[in-house]
Amino acid sequence: MYQVRDDEPEYAFIPDVAAPASNQWGKNVTLVNTDDALAGKSMHINGDGSVGSSPHRYRQHGFHFTADNCIGCHACEAACSEKNELPAHISFRSVGYLEGGSYPAYRRMNISMACNHCDDPVCLKGCPTRAYTKFAEYGAVLQDPDICFGCGYCTWVCPYNAPQLDPVKGQVSKCNMCVDRLEVGLKPACAAACLGGALDFGVIETTPENREQAKIHIPGFPDPEITHPNIRFQQIKSLPRDMTRTDSTPIRYQRDAQGVEEYKAKSHGAPLPKQWNLLKLSSRENPLVLFTLVTQTVVGAFILLFLGPMFGLEMLGRDTHPYIHAGLLVALIGAQTLALAVSTLHLGKPHRFYRAFNNLKYSPVSREVAGIAVFYNLLVIYSLASVFPTALNWISPTLTHAVLMVCGWGAVIAGPVAIHAMHKIYRIKARPFWNHWQVLTSFYGTMLSLGSLIVGWVFAAMLTLSGEGYGSLLSVLTLPITLGLIVDGIGLIAHGKYLSAYGAEASAAQWQQLTVFGHTHGLRNKLLVLACLLAPGFGLWGMTGGIGLLAWSLLALGCITAAVIGRALFYVLVVPTTMPGAFFWRNQGFEAHARASGLARMEQVGVLPQAEYHDLQKQRVVTDLKNEYYKLRQRGLSYAIRQGWRLVFTRA
Amino acid sequence: MLFGRTRKNPITLPKREVTNWVYTTCGYCSTGCSIEVGVNGQGEAVTSRGVGSADVNRGKLCIKGIFEHELFYSKNRGTRPLLRQQTHTPFQETTWDQALDHTSLEIKRIQQTYGRDSFAIVSTGQLMTEEFYTLGKLARGVIGTNNYDGNTTLCMASAVSGYKRSFGSDGPPGCYDDFSHTECLLAFGSNLPEQHPIIYWRLRQALEKRKFPVIVVDPRVTMFAQFADMHLPITPGTDVVLLNSLAHVILQEGLADMRYIAAHTSGHEEFSALVAQYNPVMAAKICGIDEDTIRNVARLYAKANAAMSIWTMGINQSTHGSDGVVAINNLNLITGNIGKPGGTSLSITGQCNAMGTREWSSCSGLPGYRLLENAQDRQEIADFWGVDPEFFPKKRGLFQTDIFPAIETGQIKGLWLVATNPMTSMPNTGRIRKTLEKLEFLVVQDNYSDVETTEYAHVYLPASIWAEKEGVMTNTERRVNVIRNVLKPYADSKPDLWIFNQMARRFAGGQKIKFPETAPKVFDEMRTLSKGRFLDISGMTHDLIETNRGIQWPMTQGAATGTPRLYSDGRFNHPDRKAKLIALPFIDNNERPDTDYPFWMNSGRVIEHFHTRTRTGKLGNLNKFSPTPYMEMNPDAAHALGVAHMSYVRIVSRRGDAVVMVQLTHRVPRDMVFIPFHFHECVNRVSLGLLDPYSRQPAFKQCAVRVESMSQQAAAVLNLAARSF
Repeated sequence: MYQVRDDEPEYAFIPDVAAPASNQWGKNVTLVNTDDALAGKSMHINGDGSVGSSPHRYRQHGFHFTADNCIGCHACEAACSEKNELPAHISFRSVGYLEGGSYPAYRRMNISMACNHCDDPVCLKGCPTRAYTKFAEYGAVLQDPDICFGCGYCTWVCPYNAPQLDPVKGQVSKCNMCVDRLEVGLKPACAAACLGGALDFGVIETTPENREQAKIHIPGFPDPEITHPNIRFQQIKSLPRDMTRTDSTPIRYQRDAQGVEEYKAKSHGAPLPKQWNLLKLSSRENPLVLFTLVTQTVVGAFILLFLGPMFGLEMLGRDTHPYIHAGLLVALIGAQTLALAVSTLHLGKPHRFYRAFNNLKYSPVSREVAGIAVFYNLLVIYSLASVFPTALNWISPTLTHAVLMVCGWGAVIAGPVAIHAMHKIYRIKARPFWNHWQVLTSFYGTMLSLGSLIVGWVFAAMLTLSGEGYGSLLSVLTLPITLGLIVDGIGLIAHGKYLSAYGAEASAAQWQQLTVFGHTHGLRNKLLVLACLLAPGFGLWGMTGGIGLLAWSLLALGCITAAVIGRALFYVLVVPTTMPGAFFWRNQGFEAHARASGLARMEQVGVLPQAEYHDLQKQRVVTDLKNEYYKLRQRGLSYAIRQGWRLVFTRA
Repeated sequence: MLFGRTRKNPITLPKREVTNWVYTTCGYCSTGCSIEVGVNGQGEAVTSRGVGSADVNRGKLCIKGIFEHELFYSKNRGTRPLLRQQTHTPFQETTWDQALDHTSLEIKRIQQTYGRDSFAIVSTGQLMTEEFYTLGKLARGVIGTNNYDGNTTLCMASAVSGYKRSFGSDGPPGCYDDFSHTECLLAFGSNLPEQHPIIYWRLRQALEKRKFPVIVVDPRVTMFAQFADMHLPITPGTDVVLLNSLAHVILQEGLADMRYIAAHTSGHEEFSALVAQYNPVMAAKICGIDEDTIRNVARLYAKANAAMSIWTMGINQSTHGSDGVVAINNLNLITGNIGKPGGTSLSITGQCNAMGTREWSSCSGLPGYRLLENAQDRQEIADFWGVDPEFFPKKRGLFQTDIFPAIETGQIKGLWLVATNPMTSMPNTGRIRKTLEKLEFLVVQDNYSDVETTEYAHVYLPASIWAEKEGVMTNTERRVNVIRNVLKPYADSKPDLWIFNQMARRFAGGQKIKFPETAPKVFDEMRTLSKGRFLDISGMTHDLIETNRGIQWPMTQGAATGTPRLYSDGRFNHPDRKAKLIALPFIDNNERPDTDYPFWMNSGRVIEHFHTRTRTGKLGNLNKFSPTPYMEMNPDAAHALGVAHMSYVRIVSRRGDAVVMVQLTHRVPRDMVFIPFHFHECVNRVSLGLLDPYSRQPAFKQCAVRVESMSQQAAAVLNLAARSF
């Protein structure tokens, strides 16, 4: 049990006050009844089997934040980091601010924010490994770093930037509501440490002493409808009509009507000339740029290879050009294997990759991984049967045919389904830039255009070498190529309109797209339009021979460039609905500067230097794998088998 | 498990296996919070927490206190004494004996060659009171230099001077409990939430229970200014005008407490005649606060049954710092607000033991608020220590801020710096560098071997930090609190008390005088010397202090407890036992903005750092909130100059230049920039630091600068080069 001191001050205890039956969304504040199977159990905190005695143990608890009072003194953040032994570059709770007005009629509003232990925990639902649990005790949403494999998806879906991905440890951790303190009746460390009379804690919907408001929104706080967070606010003092952020996120908040409820996030829209910033296209998500593009291309190419011959493109069949066909299949498997390897190594803990399937019920990540695993396996079996038909023919040629048909059709169905699941990953409310059907048109567009282009180009190149013609094939392939480009283009046009109309983080992302990446974005669009015009032109013209190959190669290069730029922009541009940062802490602009200038090399600056981050990740992965290996060797074969069994069959 | 796993996994939370909680007092600011340091079974300090039953902080700690245990293991602590013959050669590690022998020989050589006062000692507000007392004994009774002062000249000298001028003695008359009784609080140049967060919390608690008007006078819109009922955005350096005008209204409108004035003050006529000139119409034009507001505040303050004033560096660090303090005292004297619950003149002190050094270090005189100018005081101390009273000078020597100019011009040849870092903290860094170069011998005694002043040192003595030692400290409300020993000294560092004692043995005089080895024994000497005096601590012992979680002096032997307020009987410490009302004519001698240097340069503290960052700059969870210097600048001014948010600029004054990162905010007016003072090679490269005529405290907060653009890359390189921590 957490030790309560003899002289523990009264303010540190959670007040025992009556709570309403339901919260502001109509959900019961009481999570389970005391006779429920979940009740009366120990939380086993640090191996302690005792059961907390709070009369409100099974009621949803939450924070109450009086924004009028916060002085930005960092005591809450410090108390949290101290208790949780966090290194400088991580914090579960952060204070940022909005400011507005003109000297001396100036106001700063500080906001202290951690996890809100939401009614609808999107982190929990999104996590593929099921590292998250929402407890009946206090309604705490806890995350278990020992289960997490460091994909960081929870950090994408959370609107409040609560889960913290630590690149050094390769895993996520987050606010644990100080459940050890709650079990003995104490408020969490942050609330007990507050010096401004701002942060408080208790059963949700109970308003602390001397406070009169418990509203669900203040300026700067993301839309509470996304997750139904368990935080309530008091914010009565009037604020200037226009509030700005000091961090580099291009967002401001404006009040359109009377009343503080009406603040809307907007792009700050400062004028900025168009720039290229090609180097800034590279990000932590580069592996995902590769993974998504390759997967979509491979799926498209396989569909073409499999269905083409059935619909009159005999040239693609394995009977017509067996070596090109086989070569292409092997290349597709190679590309897909590489893409899977790269995306797995992108995890904080790659050796825990198998946990990706743990949450098929909720997580789009689990479903995507499952879908791609099915596609990949079918592709491999199909390719084996196709390249080495004799392996099965000795049993029966019908069997070969059956395997080819089952696996082929299976992959043709599984591929697009997996891509659909892949697109669902990005349909995140907390990331409005992504949350649009354009993701789907982009992914399917790539599947069609790049998949067909690759197949067409490989055949054209091979047939040119052997002196054969390929004009008719490419004339037909022009159709899916152009269709893919048009689908992509239509999506982009609609997306642009959506971004302007949606406002907030979406238009902030658009502002960056049109300014910081203005030229780069323009290049992608021009390439797309050009390809849309040239592809049908080449097809109708029936270009062939060496000149034709050169022309198609240039077209393919253009399309691939457009796709890579587009996909890199997709990851770089997204502006999440996070809390406002401060001037140094939680300011991406300063973090970038600290890395570029060398300030980040000082550990106490609290910014991880990028270069070392990669080194650290490599080192850590190698160490992790070695440790797993030694464990297996030490404990012998039976342990390995049991472990394998557990991996495959036991649900965590 | 409403959602998620079907089977509950055990929860693992970080847990410190504390086997022993040790009682201490925070070693940063003067709030005086009681801290318990948690020590685990391996004897490591692993956590800190506020003491719940301590009246000062009632279980709370600010960000610095929360991480205070990490100081024991912070980077670049001094491990062994260092020695070198010339400052351009590298340091060599040496033994304590060699370092101390060499230092004592150099002190003797310099004193014999150039005279006793040619060796100066500058100490601090960071040591324990017992250490201050011992250093004082060493400086006054053994080494015998009259050029001995503390860096408190940079922070509290004006408050000391103002208290002495008004009340006849130093010593803040009020306490934190006054918040619970006052009906009006007036704060001058004090950003309480950021500088003294726990005192702010005490104020906040009082306000939660009972609402009373809070008025903040500050040229910058601090959080305190925002939360105040009234914010008076004053023109820098004009507080005396505002205060004279407040007194003008109070006297003119018959709101003064004439009975109190008659019974307990002197100088009323002269004072009234002067403030008669400061009508609000005239004052408004100088101080920038409109006449209606001046009248309104004056009436509010005078009509309150109890009203109190607090102030910090906004008043003290000014060319009229001492006058500002006197003016605040005047205001409280004419309204009868001294020594009563809720009515006081309370300076909010800076360093953890600025009070201790004022009381016992002998910097400005002799221990226990005794004066060198007073023959009886000299005799008492000479008898007690066993030295010849004629050994003492009959007049106090140079202040810290006059010691450096005396080095510059060659009167002082040797210097001992104890826990202070003038390379970062003194105004006009360029001049300080030139000055330190001229020293024949500089010894730096500090917790950290990378304290910037070691650049010019010949000897470095590694001192133990905070609760590696033991002793007492006095806080803002005169509360004496105790630091118990938590850990043994780091590496080969030594407690300052040990260093002073060892140094004393190396002088002939030191062998004759008794230097007790332990802090409680030194405390006993202080108790004896305090008997019957204003700051009587004879009723206290270390144990009793811990039991009471700090005791406010005076506490005579046998008394049940300390004394929350001074002067409650209306008897002051001037010979006539009256307080003085002092006429304060205003002279505008600040370097004001002009066409060449169009901005006021204002400086101040941020919550996550302390002084020159030698401690806080090394703890990531503090430093990350401001790891590099920045400058608040008004967006309108920046727009006109083409300066962008988060870009570097060069600020230039008549002294020099500095590189800072710009933070655009309407916290500051169009003609002002604000820069935190903590950073090396930054604000003090440009500051002027005109000296107050009474306290010799520098006006850090008022000078004129201009803003120049510069290559961002070059700026980043320059800035990084100055950030070794």
